[in-house]
Amino acid sequence: MTASKVLVADDEIHIIHVVAIKLRNNGYEVIAANNGAEAYELACREKPDIVVTDYQMPLMTGLELIEKLRHDEQTKNIPVILLTARSFAVSQEQQESLGVASCLSKPFSPKELLKTIQDILYQRELALKS
Amino acid sequence: MFRGQRSVTWIATAVAFASLVTAALAELQEPVTGAGGCSQAAMLRLIMYCIGAVGVIFLGLGYGRVTGAITSMANRLRSEQPVPWDAGTPRVLRALTDAVASRLGARDDSVRQLQAQLKDFQIQSQLSDREKRHAEAILYSLRDAVIVVDGSDRLLMANAPAARLFGFDAEQCRHRPLAEVIGGTHGPFTELVCQSRRHRTEATRRELQFPVGDRPHTFDTIISCVQDDARVCGVVAVLHDVTREKEVSQMKNDFVSHVSHELKTPLASITAYSEMLVDGEADDEETRREFYTIIQSQAQRLNRLIEDILNVSRIESGLIKVSKEHASLTILIEEQMQMIRSYAEEKEIAVIGQKPIVFDQVRVDKDMISQVIVNLLSNAIKYTPSGGRVTVGTEVDETAGLVRVTVGDTGVGIPQDEVEHVFDKFYRVGANNKQAKGTGLGLNLVKQIVEKVHGGRVFVTSQVGVGSTFGFELPLAAAGQVATA
Repeated sequence: MTASKVLVADDEIHIIHVVAIKLRNNGYEVIAANNGAEAYELACREKPDIVVTDYQMPLMTGLELIEKLRHDEQTKNIPVILLTARSFAVSQEQQESLGVASCLSKPFSPKELLKTIQDILYQRELALKS
Repeated sequence: MFRGQRSVTWIATAVAFASLVTAALAELQEPVTGAGGCSQAAMLRLIMYCIGAVGVIFLGLGYGRVTGAITSMANRLRSEQPVPWDAGTPRVLRALTDAVASRLGARDDSVRQLQAQLKDFQIQSQLSDREKRHAEAILYSLRDAVIVVDGSDRLLMANAPAARLFGFDAEQCRHRPLAEVIGGTHGPFTELVCQSRRHRTEATRRELQFPVGDRPHTFDTIISCVQDDARVCGVVAVLHDVTREKEVSQMKNDFVSHVSHELKTPLASITAYSEMLVDGEADDEETRREFYTIIQSQAQRLNRLIEDILNVSRIESGLIKVSKEHASLTILIEEQMQMIRSYAEEKEIAVIGQKPIVFDQVRVDKDMISQVIVNLLSNAIKYTPSGGRVTVGTEVDETAGLVRVTVGDTGVGIPQDEVEHVFDKFYRVGANNKQAKGTGLGLNLVKQIVEKVHGGRVFVTSQVGVGSTFGFELPLAAAGQVATA
């Protein structure tokens, strides 16, 4: 069984680092980008199983990244987890309309992020089987 | 007086009688000398004269009594105190006189009351005139625009700010319909005034936007109807310009949002790495040491951010402790360039300094000026794309007695309409928001430290797509001062 591929996008190198360690320790393959534009390119090229993105990033914000992913046939079904330090920046309606699978507030717990990723991928696997 | 008049009457009567008798005698003498005897006709005339004389006498007596009575009546009516009646005054005249006197007295009271009322009215009129002048003086001295219209929406009064805001001459436009005086883009305001009057709304409050100059301003508008017996006799509109307040409020909201983001970012790292350590996710000593170092650096970052916020607040409130000493700006710049070089190298940006200047001594708080330099350098690197260049320059203007420091970059630049705001607190250039994170405090802190603490000046020039040059000037320390320092 191949490891699930997670794309982590954040302009904070330390956040990418800690998330990558946590996910790799738990059997995931991690690819990383430090801005929205780079993340979009990686998503198109690498077709990750899930994307974890920061809300505020240079060049392209997290929301803009999700919009672009949703408009691309190859990436429109990739589940996305949004990390944000601005609690009220993204409304529930926005999350639903963009198909955000989960939204976690910074500071976040790596354990909680891991569990969220596991839950989303499990649900997705079930949905694909059925 | 009464007695005197009576005597005159008697004397006049006597004289008349004497004249009559004399005339009669003269008439008698004529026929005697002429005809030698007294005729019957003459006798008859004599008798008639006598009767006339007697009549005159009685008339005189009667006139005396009448004038006496009238004089007595007049005195009684004229005097405020009761005057004794003349004995000869008939009772009927006494009663008549008393009745007239009573009516006249009542009339006098009415007149006095009316006079008192008139005086009151005059005083009240003066008071209300004065109050009106005071009220007008207050209205005219207000900085808010005030407009008063009558029950038919015609302009009654407008103060100078209102005339300026809507662009009309208040005196010339008096009594003209408001919609005629204020039209065009101010339509929503006139419509609100008409609506309030039509619906007899006691007070309406609305935020309205009008263009003032070349940009929209927001006005907190309060419309109050003046009612008289359930009829609207006028409408008063007060427009308070809240544009600046709204901008400040928006800036504060943005600041809270930015600051919370900036605070949470290092906090997120600290939390995540701590949890990893606690959960034993760092297998070896080297990894653990790496995690500790990251936690420490993020804690320091958090502390710097909090210090920035506090410093701005302290400088503004004048509570910051300043310790000035003589220093060379070139040396301070060199120190900060060393500190920031690794950050620049990460982004592949060249930081170019210049040769030391012979005499660039200033009297400054070294920590504060170091912060100014590092803020300008880090901003320049932050907004310059990889492969760019940051150039630091220092020059001494001996004539003006100052040192000028410039930090130029080949970065994204700032739109011209935003250049003047870049030193404002919490201000972030909209177009560059995506370029890098920030609180909008760094440049404000630079301005506060240079201008408020050191009496210098900050400046900026910029061109979009070409780059920006930020700089500051500080007064040179006098040569004598440096030698003795």
